[in-house]
Amino acid sequence: MTADRPNAPSPYANPYLAGLGLGLVLLAAFVLVGRGLGASGGVNALVAASVNAVAPSHAQRLEWLANYLAPGTNPLKEWLLFEIVGVFAGALLSGLLARRVRLGVDKGPRVSTGLRLGMAFAGGTLMAVGAAFARGCTSGQALTGGSLLNLGSWAFMMMVFAGAYGVASLVRWQWR
Amino acid sequence: MIAPFLKFGAFGEETSLVLAFLIGIGFGFALERAGFGSAKKLVSQFYLDDMAVFKVMFTAIVTAMLGVTFLSWIGFLDLSLVYLTPTFLVPQIIGGLVLGAGFVVGGYCPGTSIAAAATGRLDGLMLILGALGGTFLFAEAYPLVKSVQTMTPMGPVTIPQFFDLPYGLVVLAVVLMAVGGFAGATWVERWMASRSGAVAPAPARASLRGNRRLAAVALVLGVIAIAAQPTRAGRVSISSEELALAAQRGADQVGPTELADWIVAGRSDYRLIDLRDEAAFAQYRIPASERIAIGGLLDAGLARNEKLVLYAEDGVKASQAWFLLKANGYKGVFILTGGLEGWKSGVLFPHLVEGTGPEVQRENDLLRARAARFGGTPLAPGSGGAAVAAAAPLPSLPQVAAPAPPSAGGKPAAARKKREGC
Repeated sequence: MTADRPNAPSPYANPYLAGLGLGLVLLAAFVLVGRGLGASGGVNALVAASVNAVAPSHAQRLEWLANYLAPGTNPLKEWLLFEIVGVFAGALLSGLLARRVRLGVDKGPRVSTGLRLGMAFAGGTLMAVGAAFARGCTSGQALTGGSLLNLGSWAFMMMVFAGAYGVASLVRWQWR
Repeated sequence: MIAPFLKFGAFGEETSLVLAFLIGIGFGFALERAGFGSAKKLVSQFYLDDMAVFKVMFTAIVTAMLGVTFLSWIGFLDLSLVYLTPTFLVPQIIGGLVLGAGFVVGGYCPGTSIAAAATGRLDGLMLILGALGGTFLFAEAYPLVKSVQTMTPMGPVTIPQFFDLPYGLVVLAVVLMAVGGFAGATWVERWMASRSGAVAPAPARASLRGNRRLAAVALVLGVIAIAAQPTRAGRVSISSEELALAAQRGADQVGPTELADWIVAGRSDYRLIDLRDEAAFAQYRIPASERIAIGGLLDAGLARNEKLVLYAEDGVKASQAWFLLKANGYKGVFILTGGLEGWKSGVLFPHLVEGTGPEVQRENDLLRARAARFGGTPLAPGSGGAAVAAAAPLPSLPQVAAPAPPSAGGKPAAARKKREGC
């Protein structure tokens, strides 16, 4: 498929094969360490470590971060943080192999780069708040909890799709 | 049962962090392969022209679900030791809606934004920064929203448990839903393509055949799974015959030295329950234990999939509690062998082994170290045979404060338990 342009990125994988691979990685996590995948938990640990570095006494007062800052605990020695670093490395590896690593911004033709970056920031903020309420994100709840038939995870997952479909038409200008 | 390996002590926490990195590599690789480093590809799910998000996600869910079901069915994986995030229904519904909205606004979910940033996408990086900011805001505002965030606590509960359905039946339902969903999603993609006038490239015949084969395998496994009863089974009722047999076999036991090693290692995958009265508990207790009276066990909010270790003065009360819990569908109930007496003679004041040689030496060193750690002292091997030992009063118990907190494992169990969630 890339015969005419040797530097063109390879096409994406068959979604079912990618999903099978992802499912096997998740299963390996269950078997090896008895827990699933995650992302937002690592973000929590990073924020705890940062606030603790800048204003330790203030950090101690933040109940939400208390789990990461218990005496004798190093917030950076967090399982999910190590996993996230791995996610970065794994994605980079896959991207390099498929010639898909390119500096840029992913957006539709009708939106400026600055606005798109602002929207990405806003989306990230919303997502962090959502993940905090839900005790997990698409990785830790939908994927992990989904495969363990966790009641709350399934409720969460359906609401993610509902929320996204509900808002999609309002931000169509960003993508199409 | 030998898995999860970490919880059975196959390796320590340091190794688990290395594994976290390796597992992360697999996760990131799969996400990028699927095209999830691209926001345009991801949000296409919500404009109906490319349903890869649904396909990848549900293939992964079905794969891991079937894997977990079968591995626990054959007795390889103890599902009760796999962390299950507790359900808080209302905040999870709110959180899902907010996160879903953030998904189309930002273009990624937290995991995929890392894959995007790794492959050079600045919008992915911005989303990560936004998530860090949002987390900080949430931490600051937590006192204001805590009442909502902790609403409707339901504990760790699965769909089979909640609706009282056989586990395998729910597994089959998920497989059917996924395979049906895949067919529907493909149909929608085609319809959208024809509507916009573009001719969708027909998928290669070979890949189509491969997809069908995968679906067939999943369906067959789903049907077989109906018979599966993994450890975290849905039914709470237990047949009296089954219970009688379990009682006849004898309760599942944990030896005092084994328990001591768990405490030293800082394992957090079990709860140690003291069934004695308040005065006795105040005078001495095994470190890391909590007191629950036998009458309050069923209302104590214990999870049916937790590993519970019970003890009292001797075996009688613990056996009663074991029976009570078993009859109410608690899966992982264990008794400390010999109760507190067993703890005294096994850990606090063990008799040293008589003899010489490196083997005996090592054994005695171990006994001494273990006793010292919990504030006891081993007794000389000469303190007689069984009859004499039983008659001789044991030294008085160390004070509650005396047992040194385990330093090897680091943190107290409670502090760590919470952090396992995403």
